[in-house]
Amino acid sequence: MKKRLFCLLLALMLLAPAALAEDDPDDSAVFTVTDENGAALFAISHAVNAGDEYISRDNALYRIEQVNGTTATAIRIGEETMPDVSWLDAGEAQAVFAQEGGAVQAASDSTDSKKLIAMYVTHSDESYVPSDGAQSIEGQGGIYDVARQFRDALQAQGIDVILDESTHLPHDSGAYRRSRRTAERLLQNRPDAIIDIHRDGIPNADEYVATIDGENASQVRLLVGRSNQNSEVNRAFAKEIKAVADKKYPGLVKDIFIGKGNYNQDLSPNAILLEFGTHTISKERVLNSTDVMADVVSTTLYGAQTGSAKSTKTEKAESAEKASASAKNKGSMSGIALLAVLVVVGVILFALVQTGGGKAMGNKIGRNLREMTGGLVGKKKDEDAT
Amino acid sequence: MSIGMILLLVLGLLILFGVLQRVLDRMALTDRQALLCVAAIFIGGWLPSIPLGLIELNIGGALIPFIVCVYLLLHAGTGKERVRALVASVLTAASIYALNLVIPSDPLAMPMLDPMILTGIAGGVIAWLLGRSRRSAFIAGVLGVIIADIVGGVSLWMKGINQTVHLGGAGALDAVVIAGITGVLMCELVGEIMERIQTGRARAPHEDGAIQGGHRA
Repeated sequence: MKKRLFCLLLALMLLAPAALAEDDPDDSAVFTVTDENGAALFAISHAVNAGDEYISRDNALYRIEQVNGTTATAIRIGEETMPDVSWLDAGEAQAVFAQEGGAVQAASDSTDSKKLIAMYVTHSDESYVPSDGAQSIEGQGGIYDVARQFRDALQAQGIDVILDESTHLPHDSGAYRRSRRTAERLLQNRPDAIIDIHRDGIPNADEYVATIDGENASQVRLLVGRSNQNSEVNRAFAKEIKAVADKKYPGLVKDIFIGKGNYNQDLSPNAILLEFGTHTISKERVLNSTDVMADVVSTTLYGAQTGSAKSTKTEKAESAEKASASAKNKGSMSGIALLAVLVVVGVILFALVQTGGGKAMGNKIGRNLREMTGGLVGKKKDEDAT
Repeated sequence: MSIGMILLLVLGLLILFGVLQRVLDRMALTDRQALLCVAAIFIGGWLPSIPLGLIELNIGGALIPFIVCVYLLLHAGTGKERVRALVASVLTAASIYALNLVIPSDPLAMPMLDPMILTGIAGGVIAWLLGRSRRSAFIAGVLGVIIADIVGGVSLWMKGINQTVHLGGAGALDAVVIAGITGVLMCELVGEIMERIQTGRARAPHEDGAIQGGHRA
C-alpha cells in the first residue's frame, strides 16, 4: 500500500509540472495602487505588498499600507530627498557611482579608468504586442532588441558594454535563479554597474507614453528590491539615475518602485532593474528612449563629460559627492550589520540545538578554541574534567 | 555578501568550532574533508566552467557537490539507502520544477523566501520525509537541483530553443550548493527538535560519540 501511494505521489509530481506548463507564463496580475483618498497612483504588473515603497514622478514618497486582491492603498510619507545634481548645470564631471564598493573617486580619475557596464535579460520572452505580435515569445523576445540598442547607445557614449544575450526561459519563478548565474558571470568582469533589462506588463500603454526631446518615446520605470542587504545602496543608485534624468530629460523616468524581492541586486551595489515601457506600447517608442536613457546612465556613473576633458569640481559638487558616498557606505554598513547579527543568532541557535544547552555549547567551543589556538585561548583541559 | 556566501561562511565556522562533528560523522566525513569541500566549492566557483555541449558545468557550483554526492552514495550504509537517496533526488527535482511553475514568477509576489532558498528547503524537507537521513538530504538537494535544471533544458531543446544550461553557474552561491547545505541543516534541526519533543531530552553523549560533557541539566 505504501509503495502504491509512493508511486502515485511520484507520478503526480512528475506530471503536474507538464500540466501547469500550459499556462501563459506572462499572464501576471496587474496591481492598481491608490492613495488615501482613492485617487489612482500607479499600476504595476508585479505583486504589491504592504511595506513596499514608491517614489512618484514628482518625488513624493508613498508606502503601501493595505493590499486587497489586486488593489492596494498607499499613504504619502512626504517628499523624498533626492540627490543634488546641480553639478549638471555647470557641466562638470562627477562620478559618484562608478567606483565599486562605495569608494568615490574624482571625476578626473574616472575619465582615465575603463568604463564598463554589464547587462542581461532575465525574462527572455518579454515582447511588445504592437511590434512583435505577442507579449511573450519563446526564445529571444523583443526585449533583446531594446537591450541591444541600449548597449549600442552606451557604447556611443564611450563605455564598454557586455550584453549577455543568454536566455533564461521559461518565464517562471526560476528565471531569476537562472539569470543569477549570468549576473554572477558578468560580475567577474567587475563592471561599474549591472543592469537587468525588462518591460512592464500593465495593459494601459498611455501610462508609459512620453515625448522626450520632441520624439515619441517611452518612459522607464526603475525597480529596486528591498529584500537584500544592498537595498539602501541600490535605492541610492536608482535615485541618482532619476535625479539626473529629471534634470536632463524630464518625464523619461516614470517612477521608482521599491518592492519585496531580491532581483539579484544583492550581488552588486550598482545593480538596477529597468522597465522599458509595457507590452502594449510600440517597440519603436521604446527604442527611441534608449539613447536618452544611455546618456542618463552614463552621466550618473561617469559624470557630465565622457570625453578626455577634465574639470575642477566646485565646492558644492564635492559636497554632494561626499553626501552620496556617505549614504552609500551607510547603506552597505547597515546591511552588513544586519546580516552579521542574523548569522550570529543563527549560529548560536544551531549550536544550542546541536549541543543540548548553553553550558555544553560553551564547553565544546572552548575546547575547540583551545585546540585551534594551541592553548592560548579557550577552555583548559583541567576544566573539562569538572 | 549573498546568502550562499553566508551559508558557506557559517558552515566553515560550524565545522571549525566542532559543532557539526556529529552531522559530519553521520555523513562519513571528517572535519578536514568537510573543510576541504567548502574550500573547493568556494575556489571552484571562480574557475571557468567545463563546456559539455549545451551544458556548462561549474566546478565549485556543481562538480564538487556532485563528487561529494557520489562519495556519500558509495558510503551509504545499505543499498536501500542508496535507492532512497536517488528516489528523493528525483522527487526533489520534480518538486523544484513544479514549484517554479506554481509560485509566482515575480519575486515581489513570493513569500519570505526567494527561489534559491525554496529550492534548498524543498530538497531538505522531501529528503527528511523519505529517509530522515542527512546523507539523503544532501544528495537530494544537490542532485534535485541538477536534475531539475537538466530537465528544464531538455524541454526547451525539444522545442528547438538551444538555451545553454549552466549547472551550478553561480558557484558557491548556486542553488545546488544552497540546496545541499540547507537540506542537511534542515534535517539536523528538524530531527533534533522532533527528538526533543518526543523524548524531552537531548541525545546522550554516548549515543553518537560526538558530544563529550554535553548533558543537559
